[in-house]
Amino acid sequence: MSNRPKPLVFEGAKNFRLRLILSTLSGKPIKITKIRPDDQHVGIRDEEASFLRLLSRVTNGAHIQVGQTGTSVIYYPGIITGGERIHPCATTSSKPVGYYLEPLLYIAPFSKEKFSIKLQGITASKEDAGVEAIRLGLLPIMEKFGIRDPSLHILKRGSPPNGGGEVHFLVDSTALQPLTMHAIDIPKISAIRGVAYCTRVSPSIVNRMIDAARNVLRPIGVEVDITADVWRGENAGKSPGFGLTLVAESKKGWNFFAEDIGGAGEVPEDIGTKVAYELIEEISKAGVVGRSQLSLALVYMVLGKEDIGRLRINKEQIDEDLIYLLRDIKTIFGTEIYLKEVDDDDSGDFIATVKGTNFLNPNKKM
Amino acid sequence: LQGSVQRKWDISKMLYLNNIEPADVIKRWKQEDIEEEEDESSTESNVGSDEEEDDDDFFKKKTDSIVESKEDKFIPDYPSIDELKEKWNEDTLKKLQSRFFVSAKKIINDND
Repeated sequence: MSNRPKPLVFEGAKNFRLRLILSTLSGKPIKITKIRPDDQHVGIRDEEASFLRLLSRVTNGAHIQVGQTGTSVIYYPGIITGGERIHPCATTSSKPVGYYLEPLLYIAPFSKEKFSIKLQGITASKEDAGVEAIRLGLLPIMEKFGIRDPSLHILKRGSPPNGGGEVHFLVDSTALQPLTMHAIDIPKISAIRGVAYCTRVSPSIVNRMIDAARNVLRPIGVEVDITADVWRGENAGKSPGFGLTLVAESKKGWNFFAEDIGGAGEVPEDIGTKVAYELIEEISKAGVVGRSQLSLALVYMVLGKEDIGRLRINKEQIDEDLIYLLRDIKTIFGTEIYLKEVDDDDSGDFIATVKGTNFLNPNKKM
Repeated sequence: LQGSVQRKWDISKMLYLNNIEPADVIKRWKQEDIEEEEDESSTESNVGSDEEEDDDDFFKKKTDSIVESKEDKFIPDYPSIDELKEKWNEDTLKKLQSRFFVSAKKIINDND
């Protein structure tokens, strides 16, 4: 233990999962302190503890030490092994499987064996990534960086609050490192696709969502194709629910998405209209990638070979969360991402420029 | 203060200044801090309505703590549906189309 390097220190619960992921990728230990010391429920939450268990499942040799009060975590990363795993997500938390799955997208391509994991729990929520958002919005980002055929199969849908869903995330072939990205042109959207789903409610609900979304999107004049996905019986989880995910697709493979699920007092028309408008809003605030896709794209760029990668970002994407991310990347990988305003048009966009750290998957044969 | 209005912060230089909180970086970049300074100076001159101001501060602090609870939120914040409806009218949608969408000629309409 004494030979181990001194951990890098972070404060607060912000970026909890991402810091652990960056630590895993870099092999550098971290210590997170002052995790909600003044909160009513001091320290790490159930979902964070469950995420730590998940990390130890998909890695080998990790050492995790949670302080007695739960306000500090010391994490010595292990080797990403992947393999076939099952993870029941914390039932005491309202976090969906997407909360656990999203960080895995950063590490799954760099595992020793194929990465095949089944996650059980709620499959969509109002705040965290839904499985459709990951499948339609984040897996294409992985593919743009050269990760071959990542897939996410929904075996059972589980609406909140009781869940009962199950998804299977699979990255069959491991990668040596992500491709260097040069994406400085705004992608042009050629179609809007989506999935409207429901569990344990009348199938007419999905059609009501689809009609409402189409009414909003019609003036844009692009092809709109929304699939109705009705779940019944055992595979429909334990709670009634419905939701909509819309994706604006470009021919170059970039896409933007918006999603929501029906909450208390909301009717299907509300969700259809809301998600359609939110997609339009998201498109207006997007660069090459949308706001929820940016961190994955930037981390992959950092992991790329020692070459300069460029990604166009919208000024609306420069927010507090991005700065936290960039600072965490610098602390762990020692590399800075530069932002330079685009000067050949009046868009106000920026080009994020980063020199890759030449991360090499230690498990991949050259 | 008039001179300070002319400041234009370079975001790329402020990104990694650890002595400035990320929220303050954004504020400075968007020059919101200057507006706040101006607000503060104008409220200082209106001494007398202390009780109301205290209430305002109280609710402001409460809001901050709510923001803190949104750590690691995946889905970004959007304006309300009414604001979005108002924002995305025919004209604004046309502007968006020219920047983000392929020519309408190439598009097949969805079957109604």
